[in-house]
Amino acid sequence: MSDREVIERESDPAAAGRPIHVRLGAWKWAKKNLFSTWYDALLTLTLGSLFVAFGWTLIRFLFTSDFSILRVNLALLMVGGFPRDQLWRPVVALILVSILLGVMAGMGSASARDTAEQTGLPYERSSPMAVLKRFWPILAFVVVVLTLTETVTPWLVAGAALVAGVGSFSLGRGLPAGVRRFGWAILAIMIAAIYLVLVSGGVGWDGWGGLHLNLFLTVAGLLLAFPLGLLLALGRRSTLPTLRAMSVTYIEFIRGVPLITLLLMGIFVIGFFLPTGFRPGNVTRVLIAITLFESAYIAEVVRGGLQSVPGGQVEAAQALGLAPWKTMRRIVLPQALRNTIPAMVGQFISLFKDTTLVIIVGMIDILGASQSANAQGGFLAQGLHRVTLPFVALAFWVGSYVMSREARRLEHKLGVGVR
Amino acid sequence: MTDQRSVFADATQAKGEAIIECVGVDKFFGDFQALYDINIRVGLQEVVVVIGPSGSGKSTLIRCINRLEKHDRGSISVGGIELTDDVRNVQEIRRETGMVFQSFNLFPHLTVLDNITLAPRQVRHIGKDAAEEDAMSLLERVGIPEQARKFPGQLSGGQQQRVAIARALAMKPKAMLFDEPTSALDPEMIKEVLDVMVELAKGGMTMIVVTHEMGFARAVADRVVFMSDGGIVEVGTPEHFFTDPQEDRTKLFLSQIL
Repeated sequence: MSDREVIERESDPAAAGRPIHVRLGAWKWAKKNLFSTWYDALLTLTLGSLFVAFGWTLIRFLFTSDFSILRVNLALLMVGGFPRDQLWRPVVALILVSILLGVMAGMGSASARDTAEQTGLPYERSSPMAVLKRFWPILAFVVVVLTLTETVTPWLVAGAALVAGVGSFSLGRGLPAGVRRFGWAILAIMIAAIYLVLVSGGVGWDGWGGLHLNLFLTVAGLLLAFPLGLLLALGRRSTLPTLRAMSVTYIEFIRGVPLITLLLMGIFVIGFFLPTGFRPGNVTRVLIAITLFESAYIAEVVRGGLQSVPGGQVEAAQALGLAPWKTMRRIVLPQALRNTIPAMVGQFISLFKDTTLVIIVGMIDILGASQSANAQGGFLAQGLHRVTLPFVALAFWVGSYVMSREARRLEHKLGVGVR
Repeated sequence: MTDQRSVFADATQAKGEAIIECVGVDKFFGDFQALYDINIRVGLQEVVVVIGPSGSGKSTLIRCINRLEKHDRGSISVGGIELTDDVRNVQEIRRETGMVFQSFNLFPHLTVLDNITLAPRQVRHIGKDAAEEDAMSLLERVGIPEQARKFPGQLSGGQQQRVAIARALAMKPKAMLFDEPTSALDPEMIKEVLDVMVELAKGGMTMIVVTHEMGFARAVADRVVFMSDGGIVEVGTPEHFFTDPQEDRTKLFLSQIL
């Protein structure tokens, strides 16, 4: 749609014949873009009334519904059955996650800045406003959750997490390049620390639930599935026929089976294949199933990435005398994995949503929590799904939308200058 | 056909000690025979230019010399090492021969400096500082030291090809193979690459160059090899080759391109 109109200026001889742009008034704009023909007008009116009706329903829903089911069950939705006297653990973990993300983003920003400085590529530090624009859905979700709380503690926790995140961003940005090279060590130490905070003290992860469980299964599932998927992808391209056949068989078998089947097998069948005495809890079983499932998809994503690296790259590395595994490690994989980032984020999003399937094996993730809230005495059979399900939907939409936006941004960024 | 070729095409008269030696090399792609009974010796510090119509096997020949393609019959040896299926032999030969490709094949995710230092550091295990010092002097030699910290994508085609030459030289090879190094370049960039190659030839580098640049062949080649349909048709010094070609195929080819 255009909000400008091209006219020719006749009075000024210098500009004669050159088109100039003039802003239209609101009325003229509407007439040009919305009502220029009778069917345009019809379409505008139909869609317009639909929008108004939808907006009215939404407003009425927000102001007339009773959200007390969410208020009462907020902890259940967030952390499921996590022992209530141990809630400091997820709180500390949340703050550690903020610190980790902050430091990583800070270091990423600093190395982008340094690379730009060295190579003369354009570099623009994103303003706080731009960052807000990227992450507003998360902030909005946090605010929604905070308005549903009954004490002041969650506000303090959210504030602390925000401060920790912003502070560690500056910290990460200030780290010298020599320290940044050990970013993977910081990552590993932080992940270990978060893990210890959550599971030490006898809580374990088999009692986890709520949104916390969805996030855990997504992140842990992908972290565990990635190395396996990488090996499968390399196996599928191997020149050794046995290895290739095994990889292909595994990938095609797993991709032909629904995740629900694997989850059920994880709960009921995996036990037969494990040594006696090793009886993992349900979360472990589900995590095994998700890892096996996801690795097959990651293998296919990585294979696509490997295929996107031109053959000339391998030839050039070979001609220099690089051994095959060094060619893979230094030349092929860095380029291949960079090319897979968008697809990998897509995989992340789809797994995030798929983790709600654990509800069928009786686990209380955020969706399961919303179902059990509706089964409680005070809320039973009052049609309160119309309150809880939109809340669950909002949580997933926020996560998926932000990630897919970030993926697009990354894709755009990686396409510039480097390739 | 094969007999007729070998009568006239004796490419085995290298001047001095032979560094690259091909004896009776045949190469097949499926049923298609890409190389017929190739016999060629290249001496130390000699520059051999290979010309011929497209599809004549020029590129296949030099790709066989460093095992980017595997020859099916005959023997190839470089610097006294014979190419066999032994991986260590192959690595050894690849370390001793630098290769420059038509499409540069620089590593796009590494800076110019890292492109050049990668192989010396990973294969020859040279320290970072020494490798970078070496790389900078090579970049000066090819005339673009100011581009060291940039990515290949930021450079022009001619600059990229000069980086590719520097990258190959960084391994201090005994011989350089050029596979149509100027064919993918815009006309105004061909000269800057050829200048570097002329400089290299004058500096005593052993070179096999597949090219369509007849001016380059005339100026620096010790011998010109004309290939057609997978075989060597004629070999001679540039003046002999360009002024008094013996074979009809050669005459026809030269009349088409000159």
